[in-house]
Amino acid sequence: MSDATGGDETGVENWRVSPDTNGRSAYVESQIIMTTVQVVTPFSLTYGLFLMFHGADSPGGSFQGGAVMAATVLMIAFAFGVAPTRDWLRNRTVVALAAGGVAAFAAVGLVPVLFGDSFLAHPRFESVFGIDTKWGLEAIEVAGVAPIVAGVLVGLFFLIAAGMNPDDQTPEARPDGGGHDPERADEGTDTETVSGGDRP
Amino acid sequence: MSELFAAALFVFVLVTAVTTALLRDVLAVVVVFAAYSLGMALFYAFLLAPDVAMTEAAIGAGVTTLLLLLTLTKTNRTRPDRWIEGVDLPALAVFAALLIVLVVTLLNSIPAVGDPGAAWNNPGVTQYYIENAYDDTGVENAVTAVLAGYRGFDTFGEAVVVFAAGISSLIVLRQVVFTRE
Repeated sequence: MSDATGGDETGVENWRVSPDTNGRSAYVESQIIMTTVQVVTPFSLTYGLFLMFHGADSPGGSFQGGAVMAATVLMIAFAFGVAPTRDWLRNRTVVALAAGGVAAFAAVGLVPVLFGDSFLAHPRFESVFGIDTKWGLEAIEVAGVAPIVAGVLVGLFFLIAAGMNPDDQTPEARPDGGGHDPERADEGTDTETVSGGDRP
Repeated sequence: MSELFAAALFVFVLVTAVTTALLRDVLAVVVVFAAYSLGMALFYAFLLAPDVAMTEAAIGAGVTTLLLLLTLTKTNRTRPDRWIEGVDLPALAVFAALLIVLVVTLLNSIPAVGDPGAAWNNPGVTQYYIENAYDDTGVENAVTAVLAGYRGFDTFGEAVVVFAAGISSLIVLRQVVFTRE
């Protein structure tokens, strides 16, 4: 370990994967990736929905379903650019999904409390409303856990991806503290093509 | 055949885990770590835990890799002077000796997979779930019955933790994200 840090002083040269060295945005518009994602997206979204809705009767469940649906959104963002995807799925939607999931979960759990039972006592639905116990569990899975997982994952992704395009970010927040090379001028046009590209 | 498959998977997971620890290039670590997660997902599926396998594949191999890659594109990546992290041989020898002692002394007390007499098999609880989950909840997947039914309060706590962690990150970093709203 100690000799390794000694080597860092001399042999290391910094290079970036980010826009600064190659003068173009980290997003690359690729026909192959966009076409592949267009083909795969309906299937993966359907698979996520299947996992969520059918989790009570087969392996899977809302956590897995929510994660697969969030991964579908991430895939779309990788193919078509993060900025258009974020404009399409606004921050408000993502936060509303997560907050609404917690609220729905708590609401389903509190209904039995209204009738003098304990929190999340699903059999109460059967004795009071004649609804099968199963639907109490399904409501938690579909309205509670899945939106929370999907919302938080997509939100985290947008959060980390923010600042990927130069106009998303204040100069101080840039990794190198501001522009210094002439290639930076080209990035403005790159951003145009990113946000002007096909919207998903 | 299935023993061969399990052995191959085990070797794959072990090699990727050690490689993740040893590689110096961060991008390579992220890629190998995704392969490790995929191997673990296959392992869980092989051990008849498809629910865990799906979670590992979606979160471990998929979303985490994407988030780490995104983070890499926004940070400096130092070109390492060599590929492999330096290893402290005496420390490795001590650790290996300790590991061998532990494995030799404890291996016999690890129950076989699916052993009905194993210590984890608490019939008062697990057998109750297996026998009564469908009648109690009407849900065919016993895992869902436990997570959303019998232990729904635990799941509520977990969901709130996920929500709180996500919202806290959004609030801490909102200056970057919410300017576009």
